[in-house]
Amino acid sequence: MLNALIGAPGSIRRNKAYFIMAIFLPVVFLFVVVRVIPILSTLALSFTNYNMQRPITKFVGLENFIRLFGDDIFQMSFRNSLQFVLVALPAEIILGLAIALMLNSELRAEGYFQTLFFIPYILPMVPAAIIWQWIYAPGNFGLANFFLESLGFHRVGWLIDSKVALNAIIAMHVWKNLGFFIVIFLVGLKDIPPDFRDASRVDGATAWQRIWRIELPIIRPVILFTSVMASIWALSAFTEVYIMTQGTDASTGVEISVLVFQIYVEGFRYFRMGYSSAICLVLFIVSLLLVLIQFRLFREK
Amino acid sequence: MAGRIKSGKVVLNIVLAVLSFVNIFPFIWLVLSSFKLNKDIITETPTLFPVVWTLQNYTLLTKAAPFLRFFMNSVIVSGVSTLFVLISCSAMGYIFAKYNFKGKNFFFMMIIATILIPMYTYFIPMYLTIRALGWVNTYAGIIYPLIIMSSGIFFLRQTISMIPDDLIDSSRIDGSSEFRVYWHVIIPLSQSALAAIAIVNWVFTWSRFLWPLIVASSERLFTMEIGLAYFRRSFMVEYGGTMAACVVTLIPVLVVFLIFRTRIIEGIAFTGMKS
Repeated sequence: MLNALIGAPGSIRRNKAYFIMAIFLPVVFLFVVVRVIPILSTLALSFTNYNMQRPITKFVGLENFIRLFGDDIFQMSFRNSLQFVLVALPAEIILGLAIALMLNSELRAEGYFQTLFFIPYILPMVPAAIIWQWIYAPGNFGLANFFLESLGFHRVGWLIDSKVALNAIIAMHVWKNLGFFIVIFLVGLKDIPPDFRDASRVDGATAWQRIWRIELPIIRPVILFTSVMASIWALSAFTEVYIMTQGTDASTGVEISVLVFQIYVEGFRYFRMGYSSAICLVLFIVSLLLVLIQFRLFREK
Repeated sequence: MAGRIKSGKVVLNIVLAVLSFVNIFPFIWLVLSSFKLNKDIITETPTLFPVVWTLQNYTLLTKAAPFLRFFMNSVIVSGVSTLFVLISCSAMGYIFAKYNFKGKNFFFMMIIATILIPMYTYFIPMYLTIRALGWVNTYAGIIYPLIIMSSGIFFLRQTISMIPDDLIDSSRIDGSSEFRVYWHVIIPLSQSALAAIAIVNWVFTWSRFLWPLIVASSERLFTMEIGLAYFRRSFMVEYGGTMAACVVTLIPVLVVFLIFRTRIIEGIAFTGMKS
């Protein structure tokens, strides 16, 4: 019976069965424990009033989601997160593509440039955000205002003026992630067979025509992938917002909330974990919708 | 024509040089400022290079917070996570690439499906689990969500499926057990992919912020990132000290990156592209 199922002792089939039992099953088990169960539990928790500091938990149906509609802070963070996507996504794609196209012209120093552009992406967010908080510092010792004033412009209250602050943080987010997009676009461009480029040169096409008619259409799947990544990252931005708006003193920072910030505050400061899970679900659904919309847009053209 | 292409390249080189310099200028400014006196940092007329070079910010740093301890904590967290990830990615990659059994595709799809779901969205149940296990404020709790790297499993599957079946079969016919095949054939032949995964995982676990922020409540367990965010407050107006702390936090990652830069860029490009 056992031999029929997993092979005779010492056979290759028996060996494989042992290997599956010894490695595959434990890893799958861990995977289910640290990924699948938490994801499903979030879903379940979002329909309860679970609060870590209160013993009684009950099923409340859609109440959490209804409450979200009347929650001004949630609405504000929702709008801010959407603005994050609407500004960061096009900026990252356009800048990333432009720089990748420039890099993809058989330059000897290409590797060096690529490394320099990639550095902000690879370095940790906390120190990077602290540097930018300081660049945006109010008054005259912030680097951004120093340059503005030397060029004859007025100072800007980068992190103080509530109209500017969110976009200032988004600019930092774009700067931090740009290296990733450049590298991915460059890989895509390099995958285009050189014949295309040679043929277009023989036909007398300008560089501009080659880019618009040949290269961009070919790397469309890459652009789709990067715009999906850009929107997910923008929606789940947290560390940069947390660091740059938590002022070290009274002079810096307005409270700007985004979705993940609200998840953190509701769940881990107020311990309203059911409610926080509902925000998680909203975040998940919004990112799913964005991904589906992008797939649609890219397929139809 | 040739002349036009050449001068075009000169212009491109200049534009790219300027852009890439602007791109990393914040870091250059940071490093130089960490050697400045406080009064030369907060000034109406900043200079690029320090007026007076000083190490006082760095000496202040060691007094203000146990950064060496934070550094060791980061090493422990990233190290253990990377060890788990290496074993699980290579073994799972081997099985997914070379085995055939019922349910394999189901498990594979399950792993791929989780790549795009941000970890933030399921922190709450994970936190409740480690609380039930008594792992809040322990290394185990911080490392807990970092033991699996879904995109790494996918990456290794792609790499290992390119290893010829003949190599594996001949080793099996020689009487090797699957563990020997895994250890003596699969691992050596996927070395460079494993190195890429290890480095990428190392760098990204090093940068994790929100999870350790939730789990580590005592200073003893702070990673570099948390320590930096926390002790920034104790410096208050000591900008120089904050700058020095940032430099100390950046250096380990920067060094790893500069040593392994080709592998890191390839690894990220691949795991990014194919997922």
